[in-house]
Order: sequence, then C-alpha cells, then structure tokens
Amino acid sequence: MSTLQDDRFTFQRAEDTASEHIAAPRYSYWKSVFRKFFSSKLAIAMLILAGTIILLSIFQPMISGYSPRITPNINRPEMKYIRPNSTYWFGTDDKGNSLFDAVWAGTRSSLIVAFAATAISTIVGVAVGMWWGFSKKVDVIMIEVYNVIANIPTLLIAMILVYAIGSGMGSLIFALSVTSWIGTAYFIRVQVMIIRDREYNLASRCLGTPTWKIITHNVLPYLISVIMTIISRDVPGFISYEVFLSMVGVGLNRDIPSLGQMIRDYSPYLISTPYLFWIPVAVSAVISVSLYIVGQTLADASDPRTHMV
Amino acid sequence: MSVNETMNEKEELLSVEHLEVTFNNSRKHRFRAVKDANFKIYKGETFALVGESGSGKTTIARAIIRLNDTSAGDIIFKGKKINGKLSAEDKKWVQRNIQMIFQDPAASLNERATIDYCVSEGLYNFNLFKDEADREAKVDQALNEVGLLPEHKSRYPHEFSGGQRQRVGIARAMIMEPEFIIADEPISALDVSIRAQVLNLMNKFKEERGLTYMFIAHDLSVVRYFADRIAVIHNGRIVEVAPSDVLFKYPLHPYTHSLLQAVPMPDPQIEKAKELVIYDESKRDLSGPKPLLQEIRPGHFVFMNDRERDEYEKVLEHLEQQ
Repeated sequence: MSTLQDDRFTFQRAEDTASEHIAAPRYSYWKSVFRKFFSSKLAIAMLILAGTIILLSIFQPMISGYSPRITPNINRPEMKYIRPNSTYWFGTDDKGNSLFDAVWAGTRSSLIVAFAATAISTIVGVAVGMWWGFSKKVDVIMIEVYNVIANIPTLLIAMILVYAIGSGMGSLIFALSVTSWIGTAYFIRVQVMIIRDREYNLASRCLGTPTWKIITHNVLPYLISVIMTIISRDVPGFISYEVFLSMVGVGLNRDIPSLGQMIRDYSPYLISTPYLFWIPVAVSAVISVSLYIVGQTLADASDPRTHMV
Repeated sequence: MSVNETMNEKEELLSVEHLEVTFNNSRKHRFRAVKDANFKIYKGETFALVGESGSGKTTIARAIIRLNDTSAGDIIFKGKKINGKLSAEDKKWVQRNIQMIFQDPAASLNERATIDYCVSEGLYNFNLFKDEADREAKVDQALNEVGLLPEHKSRYPHEFSGGQRQRVGIARAMIMEPEFIIADEPISALDVSIRAQVLNLMNKFKEERGLTYMFIAHDLSVVRYFADRIAVIHNGRIVEVAPSDVLFKYPLHPYTHSLLQAVPMPDPQIEKAKELVIYDESKRDLSGPKPLLQEIRPGHFVFMNDRERDEYEKVLEHLEQQ
C-alpha cells in the first residue's frame, strides 16, 4: 500500500453550474413514441398485416377494375364455384368472378367508410369536447343532449337515416358519424375536467394565457394517447358497423362492393362452398383486429409515462 | 410607537377588506372558506400568511390573483379594486403586476412543453419582446438569474430536480417583472437541503427589484426570519396579525400559541418536556360580544372581543415586564 502524497492532488476550480448540468440524453416526444411502438413485436407484425391489407385494398381494385355489376362469366357454368387454386387465389363466386378481386374491392369500401366516419367523429368530438369541458354553460346544455342521444342505439339511428336519405357511401358515412361524435365529445369532456384545474393550467391562467391557447398547448398534448385510444376503438367499430349494416341490407347499395353484402350473399353457401363465406369474414376480422392492436400500441406508446427507459 | 410610525410612512400596496370567499356546492350547501379577512400589505415587505391545511390561506391567495371568485369584500391593489368583474384591460394589468409561485413544482409546470416555452409563456401573452432574438435574450437572462443554464431551454420539466423546477417557476414569474408576488408554500414540497436556496433566491429578487411578497406557509418556523409581518389564519378567519418579532415574543391568541408549540425543538429534552397545546375552539370560553380583529398594540391585531381584550392586556403587561 502506498501512502497518499500531497503532490498527487491538484487544485480544481469550483464550478457553481456543474451541478446544474443534465447528463441524460435529450428527450424527444415523437422519437420516444416510435421507439416504444417498435419495441413491440406483435405491433410490428400487426402493422405489416394492416399495411398490406390497406395497400392491397387501395391498389388491387385499380388493377382488377372489379364492380359487382360487371359479370362477364355469368353464363359460363365452368367458371362458377371454382375452389381456391393457384389462378384464383380465393376461388370464384356464383357469378364466375374472382373472389380475390371482390374481397379487396369490398375491403376498400369498408375502410373508406370506417376512416371517414372516424375522422369526422374524432375531429368534431374533440373540438366539441374541449369546449364542453371548459365552459360551464355549454356543459348544462350538452349533458342533456348527451343523455338523450346516448340512450338511442347508434345502429338504430344509422339504419333509420340510411332508410330516409337513401343508401350510398356518403349517406352511410353521415349516418354513422352524425351521432357517434357525441360519445367522443363526452369522453374528452371528462378528461378536460380532470386536467383543467391542475396547477400548471392555473399557472398559465395567472400568466394571462387565453383559453384557446391553454387548450392547444396545455390540454391537447396531454390527450394524445386518449385520442389515439378513441381512434383505435372507432376504426374497427365502424368497420363492423358497415359490415353489419350492409349485411342486413341497409348499408351500401348494390353498385358498391362490400364485405357485408358478400357475407350476406354467401351465407347460404356455408355448407356447399364454405370459402365464399369464410374468406370475407376472415378478412373483415383480420383488418379489425390488426388495426385495433396497432392503434392500442400506438396509444400506449404516446403516453409519456411509458417512455421511462 | 416606532412600529406604527414606520407603518404609516410605508405605501400601501394591497389591502384586503372584509373579504369573503364562498364555495357553492349546491344551492343549499355553501362553504365559507374565508370569513371577513382584513389585512394590508405594504410596499417592499414580506407578508406571511400562516395557518393549517384547509384554513383558507391558498383561497385568499387565489382570490387576489383572480383564480377564485369572491362573494363579498374588496381587494384593493394600488388603489384599484381588483376583485369581481373587471374589464379585459384591467385583468391584463392585474396579470402583469401580480404573479404567483406555486406550491408543487412537479405539478405547476406543463410537462409537454419545453422550459423555453414555460418561461416565455407570459412574454408571448403580453408581447413583451421586440423580436425572437430579444425573447431569447430575456429567457436566457431569466434562467441565468435563477442559476439555470441556457442549455436547459430545450429540456422538458420532468428532466429537472424539484429545486430546479421551482426555480423555473420563479423565472417564469420574474420575467413578467411584477411588483407583487404571491408565493404559495413555495418550499414545502422541496427537500430541506434546497429550501434555503429558494428562499435566498427570493430574497435576492426582493432586494434587486423592490418586490413585495405574500408568503404562504403552514408552519411558523419557516417564516420567522423571512417575513416582516405575519398573519395567522384559522378556519377561514384571521386571528392575529403582528410584525414577526412581536408575534414570536408576545403571542396572544390561543391558536397562535398552539402553532408556536408545533414548531419542533432541536433539543430532545425540551421537546420531550414540551406541553402540547391543542387548539380546540369548542372548549374555549366564547362568551361576550361578537369578536373582531382589533388592534391591541400598534401594528399588533388580535381577533377578540372586549372581555378577551382585558385578558390579553393582562398577559401582555405581564410579558412586557419580564
């Protein structure tokens, strides 16, 4: 053991700011969101699956030009009910059309309806919910409106509206989003009421920050994961609404290919040619589940509490 | 008499007169959080408001800064009434001149905004800068004054320690160049080791800028050396107001006694032998006329009626002889 000698020590300048430095790497919200999202293998698999289905449903109908009205093989019995093989991957239907073409065209209709209805109900719902949560006067009125509308089943309203204004893509989107925004708005209202009177919002008010700026800078960023949860719940919900309404015959009209119509049309073939029924059902289930899992993982990842390493 | 004379010379900055704050849960259920509060704060002093949790001290602070509505009484700031309905211009004037430092540094900063935005929020709202470079210079200076570094601007509040966050809160208030600052228990959520740091910082600003503080605390030991005058509040009512040395020397109201008793003693033998006084209003003799906040010695106010006044006079004479 050597003894410690004075000459082994050197004087160092004292630095007041030394203790103030932050050694941790810089934090970036969106980078952390994506890091967290891509750390889940299931989410990546589901993202690839959902991405593939979405791309197929965008581009495959463009190539095939499928329409339920065009039936070139209707008088050729040898073209009907061909089981899935290497030429017709999903087989052919009762009119001799390729089911592969029909399924992706139908998926496209479902996705357009679901994404459009989700976008409308989320944008309207979040905007109204913010206003509702901040204003006591609006709350008194809106809570009554909510009580009335929330107690009428959405499906019933959608069915009656489609009956009234006629079937079609636009009217179905309108019928689905006309009341569903109020559920989103109510959800946002509760969240706003929880966050509204937190100390940092009081501090902003003391600093003279106007309410709209408190909403955009203080409240909305806190609700990203909540809004993501709403979206990931709404998209599969609207897909199944579309499928169900088309199945019972009040959704899209016969000119528009639809998974719901296929499921209805082919349910009598459940025993003889089951693939005609099960393939549209499976595609509708897979797209709903994969989008839901992607959305939920993204919602979790966008909550900064999960960003701790 | 000297206390009274210096008080009169001082300029009155804020005066609270017969203030009452009521919370209405429903039409039948009302809760009076603050009852008939009267006090004055003079320019350049540190006025402490001390009381237990739920006594209404934060409510008074929030009523002054217009976060809570008042149900009766006046709050006069620089000769202008600032409670109740105000024009947008007057509201802005209040926001410019009165700022607040919050209790919990973890809750009072926006977690989704950078320090740069947190500190310059007030500048944006009042357009207090010429151009972007001027704003950055102001933020840098404000951070520098509270001992933080310019590199912290791009960081988020959760990356800071409690003391650093509280200093961000102070920088955010100071950048507005207010005259009057309400500090709502600014050190009670902090580690004991950094409490002095924050208090020294507040004192530094007071000396440099001639600020006036209203300091809210729940125990007397914190404010003993920091405050010039202390008001003791209990159950929404101010029970005693006095310069801090007077309050510690001649405490009169029984609630003040029990607050003083609650301060822990470093000597274990004294601490053990200490007789705890628990203030229980229901066991007090409340006979006689309705009590009011009255001046018993110049600058020393006690909530009492005439019968109690005679008792306190005797106690005071006895204490002064010692």
